[in-house]
Amino acid sequence: MRNEQSVRPDAITDEERRTFLKLGLKITGLLAGGTVLSLVPVSEREAKASFDFAGYENSKYKPHYGMVIRQNHCVDCEKCKVACAKTNHVPEYGFRTTILEREVETEPGKKYRIFMPVLCNHCMNPPCVRVCPTRATYKHPENGIVMMDYKKCIGCKTCMAACPYNARYFNEEVRAIDKCNFCFDTRLSKGKKLTACAEACPAHVRVFGDLADPESEPYKLIHQPDKTIWVLRPETGAKPFIFYMND
Amino acid sequence: MNNLHKTLLGTLIALTIAGLFVVTSQAVGSDEEEDGGTIIFTRPVKAVIFEHSIHMDMGLECDSCHDDLFEMAAGTAEENDDFNMKALYAGKYCGACHDGETAFASNTRCTACHIGVKGYDKLTGKSSKKGGHGHH
Repeated sequence: MRNEQSVRPDAITDEERRTFLKLGLKITGLLAGGTVLSLVPVSEREAKASFDFAGYENSKYKPHYGMVIRQNHCVDCEKCKVACAKTNHVPEYGFRTTILEREVETEPGKKYRIFMPVLCNHCMNPPCVRVCPTRATYKHPENGIVMMDYKKCIGCKTCMAACPYNARYFNEEVRAIDKCNFCFDTRLSKGKKLTACAEACPAHVRVFGDLADPESEPYKLIHQPDKTIWVLRPETGAKPFIFYMND
Repeated sequence: MNNLHKTLLGTLIALTIAGLFVVTSQAVGSDEEEDGGTIIFTRPVKAVIFEHSIHMDMGLECDSCHDDLFEMAAGTAEENDDFNMKALYAGKYCGACHDGETAFASNTRCTACHIGVKGYDKLTGKSSKKGGHGHH
């Protein structure tokens, strides 16, 4: 094909790519005059794993806490938000987790509502940690949780700007940035196995656990070859540790 | 002002308040008197929407659901401990039709009926309290 060079797949914009990925398709072919020539379902093309775990395999954390979000089960009851705020003393103006909403047109004239729970992605390569001038935010050396040391925080909000997920807010009471820490201080360190949000969810949307353990439920969920797994904003290279799926 | 006037005035005020109350409760319970309007369930989760008109347009009659599956009085089903998805899967309440044959199954298309806290706030005119994630 003569115009192959000018229409390489990497010339496709991120927006176009995302649109196709939303449809569960992966771009493998070429663009010619705006028409995609080759689309195959992700699950068919990569039969062994639907998600590319490149960059995730060198985890040094044990346990390595993460969460799998079974997105299509979320009905925005917000019991997770209530439980989180109560457990972690999140003020009315703040948030450690929230639910995003959007409507997609499934066919002309027919709209379907999608609720998307979001929280700190506890990235493998967290931009917030990289930019913090005082090391007030850091990866927990054992379990990979992105932690906050309020005492070291000077409130410069650089981490808020760096975070690709808008997962941070300034807490007026502690005069520091606050964020999700998987309830480390309030629950996990006290022997509880689940975060407050995961425990409160009536639809088992938030599946929390050790993703370094092949026997854990979240590990098994994201290692099913026939399921499409995705993360939010993979293009930032942050290697987020919150995985999404529909089942 | 004599006693008669006072009594009349008091009655008028009482009627006005009672009238306001009726109007308010109607606005919450139903938009249209004839078909029961829009029902919003808030228990056990907030919130689930039921549109009488959509179901009437499909040819259902009042007695298709009342009084066997649901009492006429709005809010009665919510009082029951078994008003949940498990009961629906067992063919109770909405599950009598939403079984995958008569209508789409109760364990599919969750957000067709579940409008969430956001949907509830929109319908009841409450604005979202905080804009936490507004900048995306």
